[in-house]
Amino acid sequence: MKKVIGILAVTLLSITISCKDNKQEDQKEEMHNEMSDNHTKYACPMKCEGDKMYDKAGSCPKCGMDLEAVEAHDHSEMNHKDGHDHGNGESTEREITQNNTKNTATSAILDAYFEIKNGLVADSDEKAAKGGNALLTAFSKFEMSKLSGEVHKEYMEIQESAKEHAEHIVKSPIDHQREHFEALSIDVTDLITLLGTDKVVYQDFCPMANNNKGANWLSEVKEIKNPYFGSKMLKCGSVKKQIN
Amino acid sequence: MKIFKIILLILLIVFVGIQFIPTKRNQSESIPNTDFMVVNNVPQNIYNSLQTSCYDCHSNNTSYPWYNKVQPVAWFLENHIEEGKAELNFSEWDSYSNRRKISKLKSIVSQIKENKMPLSSYTMIHKDALLDDIQKKEIIDWINNIKTEK
Repeated sequence: MKKVIGILAVTLLSITISCKDNKQEDQKEEMHNEMSDNHTKYACPMKCEGDKMYDKAGSCPKCGMDLEAVEAHDHSEMNHKDGHDHGNGESTEREITQNNTKNTATSAILDAYFEIKNGLVADSDEKAAKGGNALLTAFSKFEMSKLSGEVHKEYMEIQESAKEHAEHIVKSPIDHQREHFEALSIDVTDLITLLGTDKVVYQDFCPMANNNKGANWLSEVKEIKNPYFGSKMLKCGSVKKQIN
Repeated sequence: MKIFKIILLILLIVFVGIQFIPTKRNQSESIPNTDFMVVNNVPQNIYNSLQTSCYDCHSNNTSYPWYNKVQPVAWFLENHIEEGKAELNFSEWDSYSNRRKISKLKSIVSQIKENKMPLSSYTMIHKDALLDDIQKKEIIDWINNIKTEK
């Protein structure tokens, strides 16, 4: 009898170990939030005085906007911006180039991308996830047999990467969705550069996204609606380029 | 009391029974040429950190703990390893396209920075897999550096 109870205890123990995990992750999340408060500096969201940092929260002496908390770690990174971080900046600040092909085959992909973008603009992880699913469908319906050689190869690489980001956007909380949206924007930009579109597309740039390194996104409307910050900073950014 | 005994007995049989269900072992003898460490000529300190903190779930070679032999723990681990490898497999690093490599490097940095990886459920048991601030900085700086070369 004692033996039986002993073995049972082991079973229960192993089950509780597997159940404990979720709780642990929540705790970690909280810990992390506390941690980031440690070395905070503050900066004006509009960068009125460039990269200037303030030690205390308050409002910007130039434009009067509330200062935003910035992690000290990010600060040091910003100083290196012109140094070895350059390569990364290059990949995010890639410019869309006009491709004269008025390709309609890319329309479904662009529409799905815009659906994700508009979900993020509205701070809705649900709508963004729906767009993510639409993007996966659009890629699966795309007729890549019409492409050949180098173009086919490059399309395959873009597609593989973009689908991975879409899958993450489908199942992640909004912060993580935005991280993947940034990388997805690079993929979709390259796709349009490669294949062209008949749609009017604006390439917008937000200097504060991607940990203040800046990031692009594509939009179907001229007006700036920032998907990286949503309602928190809806108007941040500028149109860099227009296609068609 | 008799019912109690019967229930115990059934649970015992189930517990013993599930031990006979085989699990996939994620182990390989050799390091492939496509391995992250081989391709990138990783310095020793970073090599050690990645090996201890990442390779159990993100490569084709897991160093299994003793309790992996016990079900249902083994299932739980198998599942984790499968998911981890689907996301990022260091053993197959060089088969990724350049685009994907850059995106993976970026994700590695953000996951480490945000303390999302290594998973807390993993470091709870593998205390040695916890990355301290120095290790984190070493890895992040080094990765940012190779990212610029891509």
